[in-house]
Amino acid sequence: MTTEPSIASPLTLTRVGKAIAGWEIASVVISCLIAEWVVLSLAGTFRWLIVVPALMAVALMVLSHRERRETLSDLGFRLDNFYAAARLLLAPTIAAIGAILIGSWLLNDSGFIVRPLGIRHLSLPIWVLFQQYALQGFINRRAQIAFGKGALSIIIVGLLFSLLHFPNPLLSVLTLVGGLLWAYVYQRQPNLLALALSHLVVSLTLAVTFPKGLIDSLRVGFKYFA
Amino acid sequence: MRLIHILIGKSILDTVFVGSLAVVFFFFTFPPHFKGWGEATADSISGWAVNSADPGHRVELQLFIDGSFVAMGTANHSRPDVLAAGWSRDEWNGYRFEVPSLEIGDHEAHVYATHVSAGGLRRTLQLVGDPIRFSVDESGRLINLQGKR
Repeated sequence: MTTEPSIASPLTLTRVGKAIAGWEIASVVISCLIAEWVVLSLAGTFRWLIVVPALMAVALMVLSHRERRETLSDLGFRLDNFYAAARLLLAPTIAAIGAILIGSWLLNDSGFIVRPLGIRHLSLPIWVLFQQYALQGFINRRAQIAFGKGALSIIIVGLLFSLLHFPNPLLSVLTLVGGLLWAYVYQRQPNLLALALSHLVVSLTLAVTFPKGLIDSLRVGFKYFA
Repeated sequence: MRLIHILIGKSILDTVFVGSLAVVFFFFTFPPHFKGWGEATADSISGWAVNSADPGHRVELQLFIDGSFVAMGTANHSRPDVLAAGWSRDEWNGYRFEVPSLEIGDHEAHVYATHVSAGGLRRTLQLVGDPIRFSVDESGRLINLQGKR
């Protein structure tokens, strides 16, 4: 005679735990998609409403960390493994910068150009750190709970990062590659500062060297069509 | 278990937010303020159109016949009967589109009010009145088929 597993059995707890982690990922990604696709297409001049899904996603992430008793150090806001993470990131980041420079040189009609940084680039360090926190500190960690540490969760993180940059073909490809790399490094050395530094350097190289026509079209979601 | 409640709560808030946004979007983009009526006369599509939310504003219109754009115009012709019936505050709400030569047979016209919203970012068409069914005879005259099967 078989009996129904109780809600407290380890198997059910594991399944429930995985399902909740998957739900958390879906919920945050849905908030991003609402911001990119629904608000920007429906809100018209009330674009500031984009803060609503953004705040809901941040609130969920913060409450989730509290519920799971995760510390800032757990998430990757730490210095003890900074150099270990930076070592892992050094070669691929240099390779990415090299690829961007070669691409810029090939795509620029008037030769290789380096543009000066603008005021808007000042917020880039904060923005890339936040992206890495959401992508690795939250989505990657939940993906590891739902799908285990390793290739599957890394691929899921990469694909989700790419999905959030649809339908822009250039950004979708770049973020897929970057997302896979950063997710891999995070699983080995969870340090958000090193990841943000890598992200920042690659983004700045792209911003100052890539042809302006392509830079201006680095839009995602509904804005891609605007 | 509290995390599940948080997730359920957020899902509800997401749904309410998107639903509210969709309803508000629809209300402002396709406001239910346009009233009108049209018919086929011997050589035109004529009728009236008012914006009850802004009665002094003359409604911009577009005429489509059999799904193809034909003409655009403004409902600013005299229609004292519309004023008398209480549909508008003045009589200058009529429209008249001359119809180009069409093939003999049955056709259907749609008159749409154009509406600009989102600070000029969006322009939408809203059907004014019912589709106008008419027929063209050998002499090119239009025969109103409204009310006929």
